[in-house]
Amino acid sequence: MVAVAKGCKEIITDVIDAGLCALCGACTGNCPYLVYYKGRIALLDNCTLSDGLCYKYCPRTYVDMDAISQQVFGVPYSEEEIGIAREALMARTTDTRIREEAQYGGVVTTLLSLALAEGLIDKVVLTKTSDDKTASPVLAQSEKEVLQCAGSNYMACPVLSAYNQIPKNDVSKLGIVGVPCQVLAVTKMKKDPPINRATISNVKLVIGLFCTWALSPDKFHRFLREKLDLSKVKKFDIPPPPANRFDVYTTSGEISLPLDEIRKFTMPTCAYCLDMTSEFADISVGSVEGIEGWNTVIIRTTVGAELMKAAKAKKKLETDKLPSGNLTHLKEAALLKKKRALKEIIQRSGDENNLIYVGLSPEFVKKLQD
Amino acid sequence: MANINIDAPGTSQLFMGNEAIARGALEAGIGFAAAYPGTPSSEILGSLASVAKETGIYAEWSVNEKVAMEAAAGASFAGIRALAAMKQNGINVVSDFLANLVMSGIGKGGLVLVSCDDPSAISSSNEQDTRPIAKWLDIPLVEPGDFQEAKDMTKWLFDLSEEIGTLFMLRSVTRIAHARGNVVLGELPKKERRAYFDQIHDLKSVMPTTFMPVPSPLRHFFLHMKMDKARQKFEASRFNRYVGPDKADLLIVTCGSCWLYSQDAVKTLKLEDKVGILKLGTLWPLPEKFVESHLGKSQKVLFVEEIDPFLERSIMEFVASLPSTSPRPTFYGKRSGHINAYGELNPDLVIKAISNILGLTYQPRDAEYSDKAEAAAKSHVPERSMTFCAGCPHRATFWAIKNALKLDGRNGFVTGDIGCYSIALGPAGFFQVRTMHCMGGGAGVANGLGKLGQFGFNQPVLAVVGDSTFYHATIPALINGIYNQSDFILVILDNSATAMTGFQPHPGTGMTAMGEPTKVVSMEALCRSLGARVKVCDPFDLKHTTTTLLDMMAEGGGAKVAIMRRQCELVRGKKEKPPYKVQVDTEKCIGEACGCDRLCTRVFLCPALIWDKKAGKSKIDEVICTGCGVCTDICPQGAIIKEAA
Repeated sequence: MVAVAKGCKEIITDVIDAGLCALCGACTGNCPYLVYYKGRIALLDNCTLSDGLCYKYCPRTYVDMDAISQQVFGVPYSEEEIGIAREALMARTTDTRIREEAQYGGVVTTLLSLALAEGLIDKVVLTKTSDDKTASPVLAQSEKEVLQCAGSNYMACPVLSAYNQIPKNDVSKLGIVGVPCQVLAVTKMKKDPPINRATISNVKLVIGLFCTWALSPDKFHRFLREKLDLSKVKKFDIPPPPANRFDVYTTSGEISLPLDEIRKFTMPTCAYCLDMTSEFADISVGSVEGIEGWNTVIIRTTVGAELMKAAKAKKKLETDKLPSGNLTHLKEAALLKKKRALKEIIQRSGDENNLIYVGLSPEFVKKLQD
Repeated sequence: MANINIDAPGTSQLFMGNEAIARGALEAGIGFAAAYPGTPSSEILGSLASVAKETGIYAEWSVNEKVAMEAAAGASFAGIRALAAMKQNGINVVSDFLANLVMSGIGKGGLVLVSCDDPSAISSSNEQDTRPIAKWLDIPLVEPGDFQEAKDMTKWLFDLSEEIGTLFMLRSVTRIAHARGNVVLGELPKKERRAYFDQIHDLKSVMPTTFMPVPSPLRHFFLHMKMDKARQKFEASRFNRYVGPDKADLLIVTCGSCWLYSQDAVKTLKLEDKVGILKLGTLWPLPEKFVESHLGKSQKVLFVEEIDPFLERSIMEFVASLPSTSPRPTFYGKRSGHINAYGELNPDLVIKAISNILGLTYQPRDAEYSDKAEAAAKSHVPERSMTFCAGCPHRATFWAIKNALKLDGRNGFVTGDIGCYSIALGPAGFFQVRTMHCMGGGAGVANGLGKLGQFGFNQPVLAVVGDSTFYHATIPALINGIYNQSDFILVILDNSATAMTGFQPHPGTGMTAMGEPTKVVSMEALCRSLGARVKVCDPFDLKHTTTTLLDMMAEGGGAKVAIMRRQCELVRGKKEKPPYKVQVDTEKCIGEACGCDRLCTRVFLCPALIWDKKAGKSKIDEVICTGCGVCTDICPQGAIIKEAA
C-alpha cells in the first residue's frame, strides 16, 4: 500500500461510510464541506479537489508508520509495546485545586499550566465537557481555562478542528492534548505540513492520553440522558479490570453501570486501532492500575523530558517509580490491543497483506502476531 | 406599461397584446376584472388596475384563479360585464367552476375568460394548450392573430356573451401577449353601470334564479343550443379569412401567432401565388361551412398552430363526417410530424415544413457561416444558468436548508412549488427542490410523505412554498397536515411579493391591485390559529435559520411552519440603499486551495461574486452587489468583509 492523493469524496467513501471514522476532527474546522454535528461528520457540499488535507491527515488513511516515527523520533517504528519510552514513571499534582478537578493525578492539567506559565505554549487545544456532558473542542489560553477541561470524557470529540480553525498567520505557540488517533493525525501533519492554517511548527507540545476505545458521542450520550439526570453528574470513570464497571459520580452519590452495557457504544473504528498509549506524543499520560490519584507518565521526546524536569524542579508534580508489575501489565495490555487490532484488520480486509490504513512491513506484522 | 385609457378613437397606439385585450375590455364597457398573476397574462389585469380609478372599474388580484373566475361570474350574475385572465395553469384551477358555469349560464353582464398559454413553457412549469377545454366543456373559443384582433375580439366577445348567455374564451400565447404592435383604438363608452342580482319572485317559477347547473341534462341541451348559435355567429366572422390563390399547391390552415409566422414563411419562400393561408380566428365551435368552402383549394393542407393539434383534429374530425364525394386533401401537421407537437413554433419551422411538403430546398444561411456563428457563440457567450438575483433571500434560505438537511443526516429533502424559488431545483438553490408540480402541490405531496412512517419512512420532508403561493393553494394542505397529523415542515418564503410574475401584491402585503392599503392577512397568525407550531426566521441570519430547521426536524410530530421572512431584494432595492459595502480581502482569500475550493463562486453562486482567474481570488462585482452581506458568513476563511454603508 502507498499513500494516494485523494479528497473529501474518498473521506466519505473510504473512511466515514466504511465505519472507520474516529471523529478526531483532523478533517474539520478549516473546511466548509466537512462539518461535525451531533456525533457524525456531515458533507455539506461537494469539494472538487482530488488532493485534500482531509484525506492526507486522516488517521485512518494510509500511514507509513516508519516514516512518521522517523519524523518524531528519528528512528523507524518501534517494536516496543508502549512505543518509544525514554522513561515510564508515575506522578501526581501537588496543586490541591487541580487535584479536586482531576481524573486521576492531574498530571496533564499541571504540565499544561506549567507550559503556559513558562511560555512554552500560548494556547492549548483541549476537550471541554459542558454541563450537559457533551464534549467540544476548545482553544484554552489560561490556567483557568485549562482547569475547566480537566477530567475524562469517554466520548469521541473532534478536538483537532480547534487547531484547524486557527488563522494561518497566527503565531501562537500551541499545545495539543489528544487520544492516540488524534496524536497520529497531528504527526501526519508534522510530516507533511498543512497550508492555509496555523503553521504546524507552532505546535510545541503534544500530550497523548492512554485509550482503549472511545464511545459514540450521540448514541452513548442519548443512552446516558435516558438513564441519568446529567446536570447532577460530576465525573465519569472506568476503573481498571477486573472491575468491569462504568462509574458515574453524581451530586447525590455514585452509580455504577455494567461495562458490558456500555461496550456496545464503542466507536467501530476503535477495533482497528493499534495504539493504546499515544506512541507519537511528547508525553503520554494514563491511569495507574490499583493506585488511586496517580498517573502513569511516559516521556518520549526531549520536549517531554524538559517539561517533566521543570515540573519536578518547580515542585508542580510529585513523582515516583512506576511499580514493575504495573509496567508489565501496561505493556501486556498495549500488546494485546495491537494484536487484536491486527486480527480485526486482517479479518476485515480478508488479506494478510492488506492492513487497510496501516503501513507496516509484513515481517513486523508477523513479529507482532507471534 | 402603456396608458390603455387614451380617449383617441381612430388613432394608432403601440400596445402589447395584453394591453390590447385590456383596451378591448374597456371599449366593451367592462365593470369588473379579476386575475391571479401568471406569465404571460399578468399585464391584462395590471393595465386595467392602473386605470381602474379613472375609468370607474373594479380590478383585483384575487388570491387564486378559481376565486378570480368565480368573482367575475358573480359580477356577471349582477349584470356587470366582467373579465377573468390567467395563464394556462389557471384554466386547470378554474375547470370545476367552468364545468358548472357552462351549465348554469351567466348573468346579464357579458363574461369573458382570457387564457394565455406559454409555448415551450419559457416561464412555466408545464407546456399546455388550454384550447381543448373549449371542446371539453363547450365554451366558445377565439384566438387573435395579431394585436388589433386581440382588442377587437375581446370587445366583440362581450356582446356575443350577453346575446347568447354563456361565457366566451379568448386564447392568447406569449408572442401575442408580450409582443407589441399597432392597434387602432375604438370609442370608450360613457354609460353608467348598475349592479343588481335579479331573482324571479314569480311563484310560478320553480327556481328563483337560473345560476345553477341543475337539472344538468336539460342544461346540457340548452348549452348545445347556445353553441349552435355561437357557431352561426362564427361562420360570418371577419376574423376568419383566406388569402391566396384559388388553386394552391398548399393550403396552410392556421390561427393565432402562427398566422404571422405563416405569412413570414410564405413571403420568405416567395410562394404567395402558390400557397394559400386560411386563417381562423373563431376556433370552437368550428365554423364548418366556412372551412368546407376552402378545403377544395388544395390537395395538401398544412396545419400550423401553437402546442396541440387542436384545430388540426377539429377539422380532420369534421372532414371525416363529410360525404365521401367531398374533397379529401392530405393533411400535414403535428400528426404527420411536419410541425412540432411540442415546443414553440417560429417562421423557420414553418419554412422547413412548407419546403418539406413541396419538395423545396431552402438554405436560410450559408452552412459555413452557421458553423462560424455557433463556434463564436460557444467561445464568447458565457454559460448562464437560471439564478437568484444578488441579495435574494431565497439563496440564503436554501443555503440554510441544504446545510440543515445534511447536518440532520437522514436524507431529508424538499418538495417544491411554483415561484422564483422553483429555481432551487438547479444550482442557484443548490439542487434542493426535488419535486415540483402546481400551485400548492408541494405541501400536498409532503402530506402524503409525512404519513409513511408506518412503512419505515424517516426522511425529514420540507415543503417549500412562497408567500403568494401560500395564500393561493397551500392553506388546505396545511389544514390537512394538522388534521391528519402528517409529519412535515411547511417552509414559507415570505418575501412580501408575488415576485416571479412582477411583484404584484397579495393578501400578506397590505396593498390591493388598485393601490389601496388594506388588511394584512397575517400568515403566522393564520397558521397558529390552525394549531400549527410556527417559527419566524430571518433567512439572512443563517445560523439561526439553520438551527431552527434542525430543531424542527428533530422534533417530529405533525405539521409545523417555519416562515422565512425577508423582503425581495428587487422590491427593497427600489426603496432603500444597500445596507453594506462588501469586499474580498485578497490576503485571506485562498480561492481554489484546500479549505475553500472556491465555495463562493462555485457553490454559493451569487452573481455578484466573481472569480478572478488571473489572481486566483474572488472578487465582488460592485455593479451587481446589493450589499446584503450574506456572503460574509459563507466564506470559510472570513475573507469577505462587510462595512455598514
